[in-house]
Amino acid sequence: MSPEYIGEWTEVAFLGRTLIALAFGASFVAVVSFLKEWNHIGKRAFQLHAISTFASIALIFALFGAHRYEFQYIWKHLNNEMPMRFIFSAFWGGQEGGFLLWMFWHNVLGLILLRTTTRWSAKVMATLSGIELFLSSMLLGIYFGDFQLGLDPFLLLREAPNNWGLPWTGRLDYLTSFPMFQDGQGLNPLLQNYWMTIHPPTLFLGFAATSVPFAFAAAGLTQRDDRSWMTPALRWGVFGIGILGTGILMGGAWAYEALSFGGFWAWDPVENSSLVPWLTLVAGTHLLLINRNKKSPMALFSTFYFLLISFLLVLYSTFLTKSGILGDTSVHSFVDSGILPQLLVYVLSFVGFAHILLLKSVQWRRGMAILAVALTVIALKGYVIEAIAVFLLALTFTTIKAYRTDFERSSEEESVWSREFWMFVGSLLFLVSAAHITWQTSLPVFNQFLEPLGPILSKLGAEWNSSLLTDLSKHNLAPGTDLDQTYHLVQVPLAILIMGTMGLAQWLKYKKSNVAQVGRSLILSLSLSILVSGVLVALFPFEWWELPRVVLLFSAAFAVFSNGDYLFRKAKGHWSKIGSPLAHVGFGLVIFGAVLSTSQKAIISQNQIGDISTLNEELNNREDLLIMEGDTLPLGPYFVSYRDRYQEGIHVKFRMDYFEKAPHNYAPGDVVFFDGMVFEALESHVASAQFSEDMEDHWMFIPFPNERQAAEAQIWKSGTAGPKQFTLEPRIQLNEQMGNAPEPDTRHWLHKDLYTHIKWGRVTPPETDEEGWMGGRTHTMLVGDSMLIGHTLMTIDSLRAITNEEKPARGLLEKDIGIAACVRLKNKTARQLHEPLYIVRDSIIIPDLYEAERFGIKMRIESFDPTEESLDMTVWEHESVRRDFVVMQAVMFPLINVLWFGCVLMAMGTALAIWSRYKRDRKSMPPHD
Amino acid sequence: MKRTHIISLLLIGALIGSFIATFISTSRSVNFAEAAATPGEECKVSGTLNRDYPVVYEPEVDPTKTTFHMVDVAGETQRVVLNQPKPTGLENSESIDLYGSAVDGEFHATEMLMKCPSKYNENNHVLLSEDTQGES
Repeated sequence: MSPEYIGEWTEVAFLGRTLIALAFGASFVAVVSFLKEWNHIGKRAFQLHAISTFASIALIFALFGAHRYEFQYIWKHLNNEMPMRFIFSAFWGGQEGGFLLWMFWHNVLGLILLRTTTRWSAKVMATLSGIELFLSSMLLGIYFGDFQLGLDPFLLLREAPNNWGLPWTGRLDYLTSFPMFQDGQGLNPLLQNYWMTIHPPTLFLGFAATSVPFAFAAAGLTQRDDRSWMTPALRWGVFGIGILGTGILMGGAWAYEALSFGGFWAWDPVENSSLVPWLTLVAGTHLLLINRNKKSPMALFSTFYFLLISFLLVLYSTFLTKSGILGDTSVHSFVDSGILPQLLVYVLSFVGFAHILLLKSVQWRRGMAILAVALTVIALKGYVIEAIAVFLLALTFTTIKAYRTDFERSSEEESVWSREFWMFVGSLLFLVSAAHITWQTSLPVFNQFLEPLGPILSKLGAEWNSSLLTDLSKHNLAPGTDLDQTYHLVQVPLAILIMGTMGLAQWLKYKKSNVAQVGRSLILSLSLSILVSGVLVALFPFEWWELPRVVLLFSAAFAVFSNGDYLFRKAKGHWSKIGSPLAHVGFGLVIFGAVLSTSQKAIISQNQIGDISTLNEELNNREDLLIMEGDTLPLGPYFVSYRDRYQEGIHVKFRMDYFEKAPHNYAPGDVVFFDGMVFEALESHVASAQFSEDMEDHWMFIPFPNERQAAEAQIWKSGTAGPKQFTLEPRIQLNEQMGNAPEPDTRHWLHKDLYTHIKWGRVTPPETDEEGWMGGRTHTMLVGDSMLIGHTLMTIDSLRAITNEEKPARGLLEKDIGIAACVRLKNKTARQLHEPLYIVRDSIIIPDLYEAERFGIKMRIESFDPTEESLDMTVWEHESVRRDFVVMQAVMFPLINVLWFGCVLMAMGTALAIWSRYKRDRKSMPPHD
Repeated sequence: MKRTHIISLLLIGALIGSFIATFISTSRSVNFAEAAATPGEECKVSGTLNRDYPVVYEPEVDPTKTTFHMVDVAGETQRVVLNQPKPTGLENSESIDLYGSAVDGEFHATEMLMKCPSKYNENNHVLLSEDTQGES
């Protein structure tokens, strides 16, 4: 009998594992039964699978609620402080929870599919059960030697591999003897927000939704003369487009609102890999729309293929993000958790399954299956990458073969002025876009494939003198950081064409349209789009190289107006027709808002301090503003003041007040600095927005400022702070797990957003010595240099030798050499001259610590160069005079609300389309058979 | 040849073109020595923070300049100038990826990604140490 651990819910762990095993077993029975057409058994088995899955999810929630920290999953994602409202975030914070969430949705969709029976039901359910079989195997947590099959969500901490053999695991009273088990690590605070509650379930429902068209297409491949599967598949395709699209944009909204990426889309591999299946699903669903009712099919292969790869790309996405292969190219991928091989098997099995089904003849299918088995054996011998490469090459070959011979083709030529022709073109454009993004995202994967080829490639490269091959042989590809070069170069032209196609195709009729009539219908939308683009060019500072962007904005506006026009003129009053144009308007607005707000975002914070001449121009990033507590500085169209900061929970919040910018008057004789130069006002004037506008007419350059000018000079400003308008509180999250993380605060208007975040801020007081002195940094300064220390401006006025008469009073011996630096200190209330000394006695330097008590400053001259007139001085600052400061960034996003509005319309449009299709299909469907 | 085929071929051509066009802009992960061989060219260098040298960030002097030393995978240490405020957690980072280029024996980075130790591993240490205390 196994020992009994005191206070441990050992039986619950057993129950949980039993449920997972049951879910796994039931899905296996379901697969076999549905394949054998034992539909009744299959249905029961699937229901059992669903119940077990739901029960194990409920059980994990119960463990969270009961704070059972002996379970690894609970311990990793919960602690005593975490509010229970984040229990959902905690649940899907780890991979195990992610798999369970995904399974949850598959089960919900599967139970819905089980309610209706058609000739395709058994095959669809077989595929769906197969997907579930693989997914539930991800949760088994069984080890075969080194090979790990699944991550067990009910794993007890004492059983975790990294705790194996540790002495405490053997103690029966471990739960009560170690305080460790009274609290968990807690969910990463970055995930403790409401976006994390709503984004993953939406995204995973979208992922799960791609499985249904996949299953229908796979079923359809078995009986290619019957296309009746397309009607239900179409509904699910549209459902997937709506949900997955919303899920992706929700992720963008999360990044924008709560994280400090400085935008909503960063072309991050993880973001990309959820976008790609959406693109192919859109393409596939539109082809379904064409072929569903068509007598002779058009692009039948593509219809099947796009639907199949949508799901395969979801799997690939899971593989990329969960296997750890992306490693450090993405900020939010998981680290390797030892299930890479299993994920790989999962992806490749379905890739193989789908591609073998594409072949029509039994011989070819059998041949490929044999090849797959043979390659598996080779892979097990250790040649994994080679086997996969051969497998993928063989699949490419058979896919081309299937495309050429295995699908029905119509010989009739489509009219160029038919809706289906342009829908087909649009679908291909989506595919190209998806392929390009996948190409960019897959660089770490390519490196894996290039690695075994390394020696051959470098040899060939040397022989043929090909630098490309030599380059590839190093298998060190990494994504470029210039997004314009890596993504926009290709995606912008594609988007222009897609938007144009979307605007045109809506007005075309199936089969053939009257060109002149369509042209007339489009005049209104075209003129409106030209008008809008003209206004945009006038309002925003577009550069000449941004022409493609302007064309894209025009094209997106055209898509919006054309579909909007259709909505009002054609679809008016017909509920069934509203869905698609509405979704198109939404998608157009998403692209329009995304392109405009991102390309025309204005970083209004500007770094104004620092010695510009010493900074590397190229490397100099002047977009971050350093602001001292209590200071008021100009910031774009505002003045910003750093009022104070306070801590609330795990957040340190910085209160920044924003003031209206009021005009500033300069009087004759006023002296200002600008860009390191001094100017004097010639006449009385109101400052313009830019100094350059005023410089010629109102200012005189002073190459050698006199004492008055030097003393009075202020930094030039374009205005003064007027009445207070609002306060923003960007914050820093104190995060022990991931390091402190800044979180933005954004002011929303209807037509723009002001997005601000802290780039650097002190969250703990700086280190001081026992007497409260801090700093102690040595600066090299020339005579005439100034430096800001806290509140005090320090200037080296001159250097002078100490005369013999002075020496006794300054505590110097006669033989000493003494140099005094005349240091002028100035703050808001006082101005004083101080003279720290540099003393050499018998050619030994005597350190002389000098304190300017009133200013809370201590200094010491370390070395002195008479020829250069420079000195190295160490300066300390007392904590009593310290001023807090932050480095912040502020960005204006114009018209970003267009994006969110578009997202809402798109979701509404797809929902309407599903609803009206469902109603229509129900009417035309024969009563239950 | 049908029109749809012509369009398909055109788009496949565009696709291959796009692969090539953007392939040129991909950077390479290299070490410091290789980066120095192609000064000014963008590349990626991975390594770990060299804790023998201080991380210098003086916001009062320049709020957007952080300097530190990194050891690359080949074991070479170089001074790194990053044109960003000091990223939080740099001192505790496990590994660093720099995107930038080599300039005069230094590496100038415009972008940086870090992997920080996950608390999970840290807590295992806690478990270990508490365990030994429990035993002794």
